[in-house]
Amino acid sequence: MKILAVCGLGQGTSLILRMNVETVLRDMGVDADVEHIDVSAARSMNVDIIVTSQELAETLGTDTGAKVVIVNNYFDNAEIKNALSAAINS
Amino acid sequence: MEIITWIANNFFGTPAILLGFIVLLGLLLQKKNLSQVISGTFKAIIGFLIINAGAAVITGSLGSFEPMWKEVFGLETPPLAGFLGQEAFNAKFGSAVTLAMTLGFLVNVLLARFTPFKYIYLTGHMMFWTTTIFAGITVQAVGGDIPFWGLVLFLAVIMGLYWTLQPAITQPFLRKITGNDNVALGHTSSSVAILSALLGKVFGNKKNDAEHINLPKKLEFLRDSNVITALTMGILFVVGAVILMVKKTPGAEKLIAEAGNQSFIVYSIVQSFTFAAGIAIVLVGVRMFIGEIVPAFNGIATKLVPGAKPALDAPIVYPYAPNSVIIGFLGAFIGAIIWLVVLGNTVGYVFVPTMIVLFFHGAVAGVFGNSTGGIRGALIGGFLTATVVAWGQYIMVTFFINTTVPDTAMWAADSDMFILGPIVSMLAKLFF
Repeated sequence: MKILAVCGLGQGTSLILRMNVETVLRDMGVDADVEHIDVSAARSMNVDIIVTSQELAETLGTDTGAKVVIVNNYFDNAEIKNALSAAINS
Repeated sequence: MEIITWIANNFFGTPAILLGFIVLLGLLLQKKNLSQVISGTFKAIIGFLIINAGAAVITGSLGSFEPMWKEVFGLETPPLAGFLGQEAFNAKFGSAVTLAMTLGFLVNVLLARFTPFKYIYLTGHMMFWTTTIFAGITVQAVGGDIPFWGLVLFLAVIMGLYWTLQPAITQPFLRKITGNDNVALGHTSSSVAILSALLGKVFGNKKNDAEHINLPKKLEFLRDSNVITALTMGILFVVGAVILMVKKTPGAEKLIAEAGNQSFIVYSIVQSFTFAAGIAIVLVGVRMFIGEIVPAFNGIATKLVPGAKPALDAPIVYPYAPNSVIIGFLGAFIGAIIWLVVLGNTVGYVFVPTMIVLFFHGAVAGVFGNSTGGIRGALIGGFLTATVVAWGQYIMVTFFINTTVPDTAMWAADSDMFILGPIVSMLAKLFF
């Protein structure tokens, strides 16, 4: 499974999000390849799940083919876990 | 001894390899599988080299920008005489510099292990330049007959202390910007960053946060950092080009001739887009390399230095306040133009406004200034950066480094080095 952590510039914030997503996935026992990237590059990538904020999800559009997981607080692992497990189990 | 020098030159003297090794060590300590270790290490090294490639594109574009603005103001760099220069200095003191860098990093790790300052400096290219500049200052203060190991140990202690304390002092300010305590700023822009945050508090207005600028739908394109960089540079390039075409001095004619058959205006516009392309390349490299080093660092930190935080390069603060980055750079650019004229007309020094320093430091100062003083704080931060860089370069090149590496000081030295330089010189005279 391939997952993208997305923020505006694809540098700092999305990296922190990526690390938190990786931590959460490890706890859940899910094996996935997580990358972090900026929102415009994310549109052209073929992945299973994209984790990002509500605002950027709108910019992202619906034509990516990936499940978009909305997270409001990138530093809240509990929220990330809830949102991710809903997407993975659905 | 030869092995140590070899390691120092090939390993710690080559930031890409040094950082690749740190990532490798981190991934091994985390017990990642072979595939993850190889991919992580390779991507870190490739990412770091992409940064260099992007920097070369930026430098190439600035190679037309700087002479253009020098000609606009009718300034000429006077030839310096009677100094060693980077090449001769490296031949004589290069191994001392790389060795001091190696040991300085160990001092940093030890201090992080045994003091409350849990910061490990990972900005490899700045480690090299700062040690080089401080070595130039020390050699000038003491004289060329300085003992090899004395120079190495003196610099190692100073660098180790600087690399540990600089992120520690900056952290309370950075924490407010990032909202977390996971990473620190390991960059020579820390002095202007802190000063900008303090000045922003006094003279700024926090209510006018640069990041709350709500652009009308028509101006949505300004949200993209690539676009705004090209736009800013485009305006500056075109203004410079028009002035040169009106001026028609021999220097101006020579610069215009560089465009060949192309219109000088079109040539200038292409240069500004090239600059923006360089920044975009740097950002791709930063993502690849930071993306490997930060998680890998967690591996090292948790094993060797419990609770340690990585101190990383300037761009780590940019995503937190992208508008302030541009405003800070603008403030620095305006300041550089003003100081270029003032220095030229008062002390007769022709300031070399290295856009790389002004951009990276001005941007950091903009982010810190905005955090306490909004848009005005960001602008003040940028202007302050130009002030420190312009006067610092004049003082450093004229008084502290004029017999060793003034050439390097003109394009590679920056804020923290200018502010700490006189202190290093004083300490050198005290100890030798």
